[in-house]
Amino acid sequence: MKALTIAATGMKAQETNVSVISNNIANMRTTGYKSQRANFQDLLYQTLRRQGSTTSDAGTQVPAGVQLGSGVRVVATPRNMTQGDPESTGNDKDIAIRGEGFFQITLPDGRTAYTRDGAFELDSTGTLVTADGYTVQPAIIVPNNASDLTISNTGQVQAKIGNATTATVLGQIELARFVNKNGLEPMGDNLFLETASSGTAQTGNPGDAGYGTLLQNYLESSNVESVNELSSLISAQRAYEMNSRIITAADEMSQTTASLGK
Amino acid sequence: MQNATLVALSGQVALRRKLDVIANNVANMDTAGFKRVSLDFEETTMPKASATLFQRRDRDNNFVRELATVHDFSAGSVEMTGNDLDVAIEGENGFFVVNTPAGERYTRAGDFAIDNTGRLVTSDGKPVLGDGGEIVFGSEETNISFAHDGTISSSAGLKGKLRIADFPDTSVLAKQGDNLYSASAAPRVPTYVRVRQGALEKSNVSGVQELTAMMDVQRAYERITNMVKQQNDLSAKAVDRLGSVNA
Repeated sequence: MKALTIAATGMKAQETNVSVISNNIANMRTTGYKSQRANFQDLLYQTLRRQGSTTSDAGTQVPAGVQLGSGVRVVATPRNMTQGDPESTGNDKDIAIRGEGFFQITLPDGRTAYTRDGAFELDSTGTLVTADGYTVQPAIIVPNNASDLTISNTGQVQAKIGNATTATVLGQIELARFVNKNGLEPMGDNLFLETASSGTAQTGNPGDAGYGTLLQNYLESSNVESVNELSSLISAQRAYEMNSRIITAADEMSQTTASLGK
Repeated sequence: MQNATLVALSGQVALRRKLDVIANNVANMDTAGFKRVSLDFEETTMPKASATLFQRRDRDNNFVRELATVHDFSAGSVEMTGNDLDVAIEGENGFFVVNTPAGERYTRAGDFAIDNTGRLVTSDGKPVLGDGGEIVFGSEETNISFAHDGTISSSAGLKGKLRIADFPDTSVLAKQGDNLYSASAAPRVPTYVRVRQGALEKSNVSGVQELTAMMDVQRAYERITNMVKQQNDLSAKAVDRLGSVNA
């Protein structure tokens, strides 16, 4: 009976759905996290009787055929790339992006990763780094005796050095953007990698056409909506239950048949 | 007598198929734009199975077989997702047009994405068609918006209009899998269409309806099985009685 395998595809898809939802909820407080969603598609159909086939010499036709489906699959888990709310932190090295773009981060192996998480720190050499100590590209070095670090909304980093009364420009933060943000490969640690499907990164300064602007002292909170996630969790659970009821029904039907021989 | 078993068998096969259809509906409960399917049965008369030698003629046997899978094209509930690339068609008429290697296909699933070349595609990467062919966005464009009449615009200005296909006779549509339909007749341009951005049409499968149908199938199947059982007992008894020799 196909119902067994069809319901199994349904249960499997709902399992994936629940894990996507739970990952969203787990990352509700992760800076710059973008919620994911499981997209489903129906599987192939088996045609037992094709609509439009001729039923008589007079040219009458079958109005509706018989098509049996074979279940469901998860086709993609795209991210919802909407803006997360900026949250004030009071830390002058926290930067939120308002609008399009990703910070560029140099990984220890030399590759470039991209992130929306602007919770930066200074390392022992005064270089602006992520919470994991990876350098922000292009590198910005804040001298030991610098004070009043300011980052403009177009990404210019300035600070007062020593006793100077005017600020010195320390560098410029650049943003990267992609044709297909959803094609980026998540590598964990809030980082994404470029892939063939995301297209190559294009870089520009914050505030340029098509790029977002920066907001110092703020962090972008995740865009997970807890109410939405919980209601999807409930409906996923119910869908899972219903699929399992189908399996029970198919099983019981087979059992009644099997009991015939006794 | 054998006929009863055969008629019962045809009923059981049909009921199993019906459960398969219900299972597929339930499995696709969360599939965007999925339309539920129901299976209709028909009676088939088998005149050749009757015997005419008795005084009272046998009645013709009526077998059951599946007649048609009927698509319920009523609109599914629309969920607001807030995602710019989710588009729902309001009402039950109209389909998005998707380009596939096998030709144009139609879908109600508006969970679109943008691929690496900037084209608007379905969630498995098939290009969505506008009035002027594929819809392509440049890498610098932001603020993609779909107006209620399907007009697409971005920061770079007007980008064309979503093509919506309408079928006055939905029986020309056949499910292809991957949320797509193929059509055996050309679509017409709808007179009125309204799309909504940031919303996604869910499936129109209702859990209660499907589970009730499932229980119906299950009980009917049990009844038929019982009938077969009684039929078997009857023939066993007949063999027993007729075969016993009085010494």
